[in-house]
Amino acid sequence: MSEPILRTEALTKRFDGVVATDDVSISVPRGELRCIIGPNGAGKSTLFALLCGIQRPDAGRVLLKGEDVTRLLAFQRVRRGIGLTFQTNRAFHRLSVRQNLSAVLQISRADRPADADERYRFALDRFGLDAESEMPAKELPHHRLQWLEIAMVLAAGPDIVLLDEPTAGMSIDETLQTGAVLKHLNASGLTIVVVEHDVAFVRDVAQRITVVHQGRVFAEGTVDEITEHADVRRIYLGQA
Amino acid sequence: MDSFATVISVLYQFATNGAFLLLSALGLIVILGMMNIINLAHGELMMMGAYTASIAWHRGVPFWLCAILAFVVVGLFGALLERTIIRRFYGRELGALVVTWGISLILSQGALAVFGPFLPAIPIPGGSVAVGQYSFSVYWLTNIGLACLLIIGLWALYNHTTFGLQARAAMQNAAMARALGVDTGRIYTLTFSLGAGLAGFSGALFAPTVSIAPFMGQQFVAPAFITVVVGGATNVITGAVGSSLLLSLVKTPVGFLLGAFVGTVALLLAALVIIRLMPDGVSAVIQRRIDRRNRFA
Amino acid sequence: MPRLLSLLSGPEDVGRSRWFWAAFVAVCIVLFVSPLWQSEFEATNNAYYLLNVPTALGLALLWGYCGILSFGQVAYFGIAGYVYGIVAGNMVGDSAGPIVGSLCGLAVCAIVSAIFGYFVFYGRVQNWIVPILTLVLSLLLETFLGQTAGYQWRVGTVQLGGYNGMTGIPAFQIGSYVITGYSFFYFVLIIVLVIYLALRLLVNSRHGKVMLAIREDAIRTELLGYDIRARQLVVFVIAAILAGVSGLLYVQWGNYITPSQVGLLQASLPVIWVAVGGRESLLAVLLSTCALNWLNYTLSSEGYQYALIIIGALLVVVMLFFPSGIVVTLAREVPKHGWRALLGWGDGAGK
Repeated sequence: MSEPILRTEALTKRFDGVVATDDVSISVPRGELRCIIGPNGAGKSTLFALLCGIQRPDAGRVLLKGEDVTRLLAFQRVRRGIGLTFQTNRAFHRLSVRQNLSAVLQISRADRPADADERYRFALDRFGLDAESEMPAKELPHHRLQWLEIAMVLAAGPDIVLLDEPTAGMSIDETLQTGAVLKHLNASGLTIVVVEHDVAFVRDVAQRITVVHQGRVFAEGTVDEITEHADVRRIYLGQA
Repeated sequence: MDSFATVISVLYQFATNGAFLLLSALGLIVILGMMNIINLAHGELMMMGAYTASIAWHRGVPFWLCAILAFVVVGLFGALLERTIIRRFYGRELGALVVTWGISLILSQGALAVFGPFLPAIPIPGGSVAVGQYSFSVYWLTNIGLACLLIIGLWALYNHTTFGLQARAAMQNAAMARALGVDTGRIYTLTFSLGAGLAGFSGALFAPTVSIAPFMGQQFVAPAFITVVVGGATNVITGAVGSSLLLSLVKTPVGFLLGAFVGTVALLLAALVIIRLMPDGVSAVIQRRIDRRNRFA
Repeated sequence: MPRLLSLLSGPEDVGRSRWFWAAFVAVCIVLFVSPLWQSEFEATNNAYYLLNVPTALGLALLWGYCGILSFGQVAYFGIAGYVYGIVAGNMVGDSAGPIVGSLCGLAVCAIVSAIFGYFVFYGRVQNWIVPILTLVLSLLLETFLGQTAGYQWRVGTVQLGGYNGMTGIPAFQIGSYVITGYSFFYFVLIIVLVIYLALRLLVNSRHGKVMLAIREDAIRTELLGYDIRARQLVVFVIAAILAGVSGLLYVQWGNYITPSQVGLLQASLPVIWVAVGGRESLLAVLLSTCALNWLNYTLSSEGYQYALIIIGALLVVVMLFFPSGIVVTLAREVPKHGWRALLGWGDGAGK
């Protein structure tokens, strides 16, 4: 039984008395496409921040590829193969597309997986991004800007990516296209964890779903198991 | 008896240093807490206050009135500055820093050109009080008292007036405050004006201790900035008080043993260490404790 | 070699075309032959304008390319100058004195800035703290140096001199050839050119690209796998060393240094040069530094006491109306829209 690529043990984070992440233990096997869903304010973004190192937990551990990375800084974790896109797009808006991408490519990663470049170029191609474009990123349409950030993260050659609401603000077609690209990347071996609200998107791409509510893991299962889950429907309709 | 006087003397030194830091920095902190801007013309505003006091005093105005006059004059000037220049730099912190530096250049060089190299000095008001073998200056005792009064006054302003409520709302979330009908533009002007007025007031207060010259603000700039850096921008009151007390704890023994200048150097070193441990300043740490207690209240 | 050339001509500074380089070379040639019609006094003045350029370029690198504003670059100017004065002054007669002094000066700059930078960047403090604390360091240095009058304040045989400063600083010499007058002008010119070109290489290199990213969004850059703290620290030290170079050149120019060189007024000047020229372009900063120094000198020497008021007002105006800097704004807007649009005439005027 191979080690899951990402695992947490009793991860807890408090902000001034509010428990944002409450005793969360999740386990993501290598190569899975996991969706994390939950009502707003459930603590999904905080969880991501804890996983990639922007925030330090008050208790618990984060294990990446079996290694305890809880004490490691964000950039050290990224070098060990994890990537993240933010809920609010954080590509370099004032820089051109070319500058955005070349900034990432400066990493000389001897330990870059062989298919990193492949995945990156595939994303560029399928997302229709011109790596030499001098257009300032902020002039891109919103969905292209989201795709740019995903491509940037892929260029770093991660083994697992955390995507925080990548399809927010996208049209149905754009959402479908994003889903198709993610599924293809996942099929090539990239582990993907996506926070999403779009039910159709989740149904389309997820292999497994984790439901988060009030900072805790509320439920976990396949798409069918979760959609049948009476309690999940309840928390979304606000009767928790 | 002797040791009692010594204790009082040490406390006096501590309070004097704390009051000096607090009075030097208060105007800066008010502005920083509200608009996240460091006003680099702060030293020159203090200079303006001192100049106002000197001119008024030498026309026979009693010292306490000079200080209040300085508050008003520099406060009005601050309002003018805010309306014309400062307000274009909200959201551009570094730009605001640079432009206020330009303003400080204009003010100090302008003062030199208009008033010449010196203004007539003001003698230190009040006498001294003796306890045991030590004597304490009434002037500094008053300053300590004024520092406390100002803090209490600011606290009352922020927590018990409509302006204070609106100001706190604007500090937390300006867009939301505007949506709720708060005239943030007016709040910012009033806040900057208050900060400038406090700088002028402090400048007038300290005028008797320095030579009143165009670049006199410089000597207050270093301690004021250090106090602000250690205090942080989270909360005006706790930042000002916490920082002054903490830094005075450093400065008093060091200054006593090794002299005033080494004391100020120690402040810088202390600030470097403190921000390594508390990057958002003392006010942020205190605020977290308060929030935590409120949650469980 | 071709790679070097393409790096030089990379996109991260104003001026890339062949016309630009032709003009650049032409100007360099003019400068090199200028002593033919310039008196030694004028050449030395020109050298003075030029010797401030490294400080400004360092600040441009730090602020314009990396997003870190430092108000205290002059501290390193002063440190290098004083350390050189102390070391070379104690080694008078020894022909290696100036070189050892220079190396010591730069080394102390590097060490001080590294320690300072460690506390600031590894503490991950908020943006506005760096300019404040760097300024404080400079002010404290000035205060310290100002009270070093008196015979007890000396290192070896060299007195620090209090507010009057250190005088009789030995000139730089290579072997027994003393650099002064025209040779000093060439000395400064060559150093400035080398530094400019080297920095141009740097900002177009891999490291330059990452610097830009850090400037734009430090957290995002960190989450791409870069140790931003270390990179910020390195740039900070480089900028300090560059300011130190200016300081070394300054004490050659005047053979003296005073505490006012690290005071509030002097500290404001690099910020003004960089802001007026345009911090995101090395070339703009080079031009504005020379121009503003010339302006300052001309105004002051005419007995015009309002020189600094004018410069302060210039800073305020630039920050209000030309936030990217005058040279940079011109370089960007004129090719796009022409001169008329810049002045607001014609339709389709720029932003």
